Amino acid sequence: MFETSSEKPAPVRVVTEAIKEYLDRLGPIWIEGEISELNERSGGMAFMRLRDTSADMSLSVMCYKTVLASVQPLPANARVVIHAKASWYTKSGTLTMSAKEIRQVGVGELLARLEELKGVLAKEGLFDSDRKVSLPRLPKKVGLICGRNTDAMKDVVENSRRRWPAVEFEIREVAVQGSAAVVEVSQALAELEARADVDVIIITRGGGSFEDLLPFSDESLVRLAGSCLTPIVSAIGHEKDSPLLDLVADYRASTPTDAAKRVVPDIAQEIADIDLIRQRLFRKVTHLLDFEISTISHLTARPVMKDPMVIVTSRVDQISTARDRAARTMTALIDSEKRELKQVRAHLRSLSPQSTLDRGYSVATLEGGAIARDAAKIPAGSNLTIRLAKGSLEATVERRVD
Amino acid sequence: MAAEKKISYEQARDELAEIVESLESGSATLEESLALWERGEALAKICQEWLDGAKSKIAASRTSAEDGSE
Repeated sequence: MFETSSEKPAPVRVVTEAIKEYLDRLGPIWIEGEISELNERSGGMAFMRLRDTSADMSLSVMCYKTVLASVQPLPANARVVIHAKASWYTKSGTLTMSAKEIRQVGVGELLARLEELKGVLAKEGLFDSDRKVSLPRLPKKVGLICGRNTDAMKDVVENSRRRWPAVEFEIREVAVQGSAAVVEVSQALAELEARADVDVIIITRGGGSFEDLLPFSDESLVRLAGSCLTPIVSAIGHEKDSPLLDLVADYRASTPTDAAKRVVPDIAQEIADIDLIRQRLFRKVTHLLDFEISTISHLTARPVMKDPMVIVTSRVDQISTARDRAARTMTALIDSEKRELKQVRAHLRSLSPQSTLDRGYSVATLEGGAIARDAAKIPAGSNLTIRLAKGSLEATVERRVD
Repeated sequence: MAAEKKISYEQARDELAEIVESLESGSATLEESLALWERGEALAKICQEWLDGAKSKIAASRTSAEDGSE
């Protein structure tokens, strides 16, 4: 807007006048935010800070006390809409919104807006049950976002420790109401989500007014919670309060104590369960072993194993039986041979000449043993042996008798 | 026999059962029968050792578990 250089700088008055001139050209606008630091000075003016409801940004606002009077008394952290124009104070170089009109945003309107936002987020599927992640059975570390030194914090910590004494917490104590709440809770959530050792995050806050709980329905916070991969447990306010964070959370706890119950197991119950499983294991393995023991004892109790002598004695029996049979067979054989011999002998006897001799015949044999059969062939003087039934005679042939 | 220690309990048990059956059938020669019986005895010993070992392990672990609780 100016031609300036280090040799030709613009003086402050020129710059500040230029800014004023530029801003004065802007018309009045409607702005929404939360009032903090309301300061009514003596005189006709009131000063305040108008904070954004989601981001850590604010504007300085001033107005006549009469303008403010129309909305008083204002609750803490009141939501307002102002009609204001930017004013530039040349003396100090500060910008202040000068309000001509202030309107409080009513509960009814806020509720209507919440319903509308709920509808939009639901349509996007942010609250769908298939987006819910199940909580870890036993978390390494529990992230806890809560108000500074609040009962909600103590409830969660004490009840968790009672159930599981070794539970570890990563606690972020932050503003849980007012204009800073959304920013601080979001920052803490992002920080815990980034940590690998935190595998479940509890966001808790005690009961409060509708306005107090509004930060937990803030669109940016709800979207951030929806994008977290770490399971989130919300325990905000009382049962009847239903901030949008409850809908996007993976588990909605009714109270901080309920949140503690959900994030850690009960050690006494776990020990009892393990004991039961162990007993079952013992029974099973003992049964198995008993079965095998009886199998082996049945095998070793069988006669061949219990009295291995059977292997030998059964064969000894075989041998003696065989021997007996052999002896019997031999005796039978000898007997039959004897019988046969007797027969042959009798037959032999029936063939011998003795019986003929017994009847009175004699047998004459020549010298040399030949039997004398033909008298014509035996000359006189030949010697003959005459065999009788009993004994033999030597004789000499006298002459042939024809 | 050192190599024998390496056979599993089930192998030893099944082989023992087979040996008892073939001894009972009496089809083996005397020499074979004696060898079978010796093998059967060795297998029965292996099985018994296995079972005794398992039994005492369970008993020991049970005692320590009971001592551990309370």
